[in-house]
Amino acid sequence: MASAHSDVTTIHVGGAAAPPVARRRKVRLAPYLLILPAIIMLLLAMGYPLGWQIWASFMKFGLKQQFGAPPDFVGLANYVTIFTDSTVWGVVGRSLLFCIVNAVLTVVIGVALALLMNAVNKAIRLILQIALLLAWAMPVVAAMTVWIWLFDWRRGVINYVLTSMGFNFSNYVWLGTAMGLYFVATVVVVWMSVPFVAFSIYAGLTQVSEEVMEAASLDGATSFKRFTSIIVPMIRPVLMIVALLQIIWDLRVFTQIRMLQDSQMPLDSDLLGTYIYRLGVSSGDFSMASALSIFVLILTIVFSIAYVLQLVKEDS
Amino acid sequence: MKGKIAAVALGVASALALAGCGGTTPNAPSSSTPAGGASSAASVAQDITFWVVGSDTPTKLREYLVEQYKQVNGGTLTIEEQTWTDIVTKLTAAMPDAANTPDVTEIGNTQSPTFTNIGAFSDISDMYDELGGSKLLQSFVEVGEVEGKNYTLPYYFGSRYMFYRKDVWAAAGVTAPPATLDDFNKAVVTITEKNPNGIADFSGFFIGGQDWRNGISWVFANGGDLAKQGSDGKWTSTLSDANTIKGLKQLQELQLKASMAPTTAKDQSPWLYINDTDSDIVKDDAGNVTETTPTSLAAATIMAPGWAHWSIGDLVKDTAGKDVREWNTEKFGTFALPGNDGKPAPVFAGGSNVGISAASKNQEGSRDLMKIIFSAEYQKMLGQNGLGPGNQDYVSSLGDDEFATALIESASNSKLTPAAPGWATVEGSAKLEELFQKIADGGDVTALAAEYDAILTPMLNGA
Amino acid sequence: MTTTAQPVARKTRHRVKVSRIVFGVIAIILALIWVFPVYWMLSSSLLPNVILTSSTPRFFPWGGSLDNYKAVMQGGTFLKALWMSLQVTLLSVVVAILFAFLAALAISRFKFRGRKGFVLAILFIQMLPAEGLFIAQYKMMSSVHLLNTVIGVSILYIAAVVPFTIWMLRGFVAGIPAELEESAQVDGCTPAGAFFRITFPLLAPGLVASGVYAFLQAWNEFTIALVILQREDMRTLPLWLRTFITASQARETDWGAVMAASTLVAIPVIIFFLLVQGRLTSGLVAGAVKG
Repeated sequence: MASAHSDVTTIHVGGAAAPPVARRRKVRLAPYLLILPAIIMLLLAMGYPLGWQIWASFMKFGLKQQFGAPPDFVGLANYVTIFTDSTVWGVVGRSLLFCIVNAVLTVVIGVALALLMNAVNKAIRLILQIALLLAWAMPVVAAMTVWIWLFDWRRGVINYVLTSMGFNFSNYVWLGTAMGLYFVATVVVVWMSVPFVAFSIYAGLTQVSEEVMEAASLDGATSFKRFTSIIVPMIRPVLMIVALLQIIWDLRVFTQIRMLQDSQMPLDSDLLGTYIYRLGVSSGDFSMASALSIFVLILTIVFSIAYVLQLVKEDS
Repeated sequence: MKGKIAAVALGVASALALAGCGGTTPNAPSSSTPAGGASSAASVAQDITFWVVGSDTPTKLREYLVEQYKQVNGGTLTIEEQTWTDIVTKLTAAMPDAANTPDVTEIGNTQSPTFTNIGAFSDISDMYDELGGSKLLQSFVEVGEVEGKNYTLPYYFGSRYMFYRKDVWAAAGVTAPPATLDDFNKAVVTITEKNPNGIADFSGFFIGGQDWRNGISWVFANGGDLAKQGSDGKWTSTLSDANTIKGLKQLQELQLKASMAPTTAKDQSPWLYINDTDSDIVKDDAGNVTETTPTSLAAATIMAPGWAHWSIGDLVKDTAGKDVREWNTEKFGTFALPGNDGKPAPVFAGGSNVGISAASKNQEGSRDLMKIIFSAEYQKMLGQNGLGPGNQDYVSSLGDDEFATALIESASNSKLTPAAPGWATVEGSAKLEELFQKIADGGDVTALAAEYDAILTPMLNGA
Repeated sequence: MTTTAQPVARKTRHRVKVSRIVFGVIAIILALIWVFPVYWMLSSSLLPNVILTSSTPRFFPWGGSLDNYKAVMQGGTFLKALWMSLQVTLLSVVVAILFAFLAALAISRFKFRGRKGFVLAILFIQMLPAEGLFIAQYKMMSSVHLLNTVIGVSILYIAAVVPFTIWMLRGFVAGIPAELEESAQVDGCTPAGAFFRITFPLLAPGLVASGVYAFLQAWNEFTIALVILQREDMRTLPLWLRTFITASQARETDWGAVMAASTLVAIPVIIFFLLVQGRLTSGLVAGAVKG
């Protein structure tokens, strides 16, 4: 820390020596210079792919075109197909439902755990935090492998435990129906995402001064009132963004569903992510996959625009 | 896709030792290897990359290829292993890209038509005869052929046959393997009903609902097919064909009456269900026996690719103390699924093709590698490792044990999926899994067939 | 205690104590639920497959050994993948956090034209499904010769995490009252000096949190890696693990080995987390707030 300070002082001395006019211009330029690296990075990585995707969505671009055949311009035909295809709407509906259920569960449980961390003594807090960290730290591929095994119809621990508790879950095939697959996916997604929410909210809570927290917990207000009137407003910025992120991530959930499907794929179990992948990479219809991606982007924006604008308004 | 041959690779070391094949020195080229070596000696040394898929190709064979390539071409051969799950993704991305394409690649036989039709592979018709010509497994040659030109050729083949529990069959009163398809269908239903060991959710014949790769045999055996090519070159899905319907109905009957497999199950590791006791005895930390677990046996019959036999048998320790399965002829048996015409039923052959990427800058080197792969020596090595060699002259190298016999017998009448340009699309869309699951769920076969004909026909033709 | 003058206070204290215990018990139960899959992975990684696939699960690794780990470590492919993952992750995290921090500074400390557009863009860019982008990303990386390189895959990872880390850090910067800096400036600091002396220490939890986020994303990602890193010797750990699992499934899934491999992939993350966790919860936050 000390060395950092002295470095800073050096810079500050240099800055102070600069003439006032130059400094004012620098201030005006400063924000642009500050965001420049991030923008360059985003353009580098996303610019071309996004542009290509928009272009491809107006073409007929299949495997043949990927191997060099000139693509045909088809206008809005791909989008028309999307709008008129009941499969697509089924996928969209399921994805929205899955997203809402998962986002709500994740945020509610995450906030509850953050508050719990605040309410227990240090030792127990540490235990809880380590447990959450361990779950959070599990690489997705590893975590999915474990969960798929836990839910295995024949040798899964979950069936074994439920059966020995007196419920007949012997040889129950969790992944045999789309609902079952979504249930397992929800368990896994919530399990994986809650730590992030809990720690973010908890980090937000630590910025609330201890005096306020203590005062809040000692006066006569009920816990719930305390929560809504004092805590929520203070963690509101974190809560808003965390909720938005859960919605974004749960809407485009991919790896979890794909790995469950690799294990067993019930009928009509695709969500947007896996469906786009199936269209594009597995079936080689890149133009439809692109069009559907753009469609999903627009759909997400439409659904979240009010929320995002509110977020941005509060921000400035 | 062709399924999984990986087990062979895992079992290969022990197989070599057991069969005494280890004595063959793969490094000593016989007079016939490598074919055409003289002509290619003049070519420039090129460093090339060969993608193999899965761990199917054993290490010894890979080393052999690398060494031979060095000798013949002078360049370096790099062999990279890809996985079956992701190979289509990777080929799609890399093959059009001259800078990054593999020069030679293995490809699942059912994936081959799609890629050959769009020009991903180089035309190797001129070396077709040199590489084996009419001796090559023709059904595999066909999926690598477009308008009479050869693009990919058979690398190795596997075939599917039945593994069954002799003891359970006998206890249920069925003493001999069935002679006809009808006999088989009846036998497994009887065994399921009798369930001689009183096992919960017992299957006389365990076949997953989405397992179309095995299930298709009933369609083939009844003279049906998945698709036909018309004289105009267009493909039509033929699920509604009377013979196809008949086969699908037989399969549905089996699914409902003989198989307790989940209707969402695919063809993944069915051997788990006909093995006995995963674990006999559980001991506590003091070494006292606390309980004996029930056996895991849940099926009397399964259908699986030949290499499954490495995973079937009694559980024993090998010399290194590892748990391995040891085949027990008292308990386990094999037979090729019989047809109703005295011949084995046509089953879906597994395996893969191999070809040269059209975008490769190293066509000469790639051709050298192809010559090595199709040399007598390498073809024999494939056979010795339990992989059916693409050149039928060397099938005898598979040996003459029970498994080789069943493999050769079932392969004698094996079929492939249609060589339609859109076949990979059909597989990628998972529509067949859907159809077969709906049939296994007890859906109306005729209506489903009509529904999926309408879905599949456009897919078959689009590239 | 004998006086009856403070019954209310005692009752309250009592209630607080009871609720503390109840919360404590709930917290422990939740901790057990969350940790169980991790425990199961660890425990199974020590057991031979025969025991793991028996119909009665073994809940404790009695009679376990490290054999599975020995088998997994054979051939050295794990260490290669580990090295690859470390390079990619380190590069991605450092660059992403640096760039994100600069951008967060801009949007939380300056008013400028285009600010709102930039904020909206970084929020919306995350809504694009990545599953449709692979082919285009491949084409792009191929044309600039960055396939199978640490830099190539890192660029894509940085771009994937930068939007969110900007927003996350912005939240932390914005959460620190500007008056603190202003008062420091009154005390003779320049804006930069005030920022580094006052704001930066307060930002530590934010930097740690967003660093953790970036670390996880880069460490776990496997679909982009699958397309960009095709060469065997350039595999990151998730690709290595997936290959390992697929190969095992082709025969009789060796759950013990698969769990050992999964554990090996998780261990570096767990170590990193446990290191960071101490900083996150104990000294830094309290120290920064009070100091």
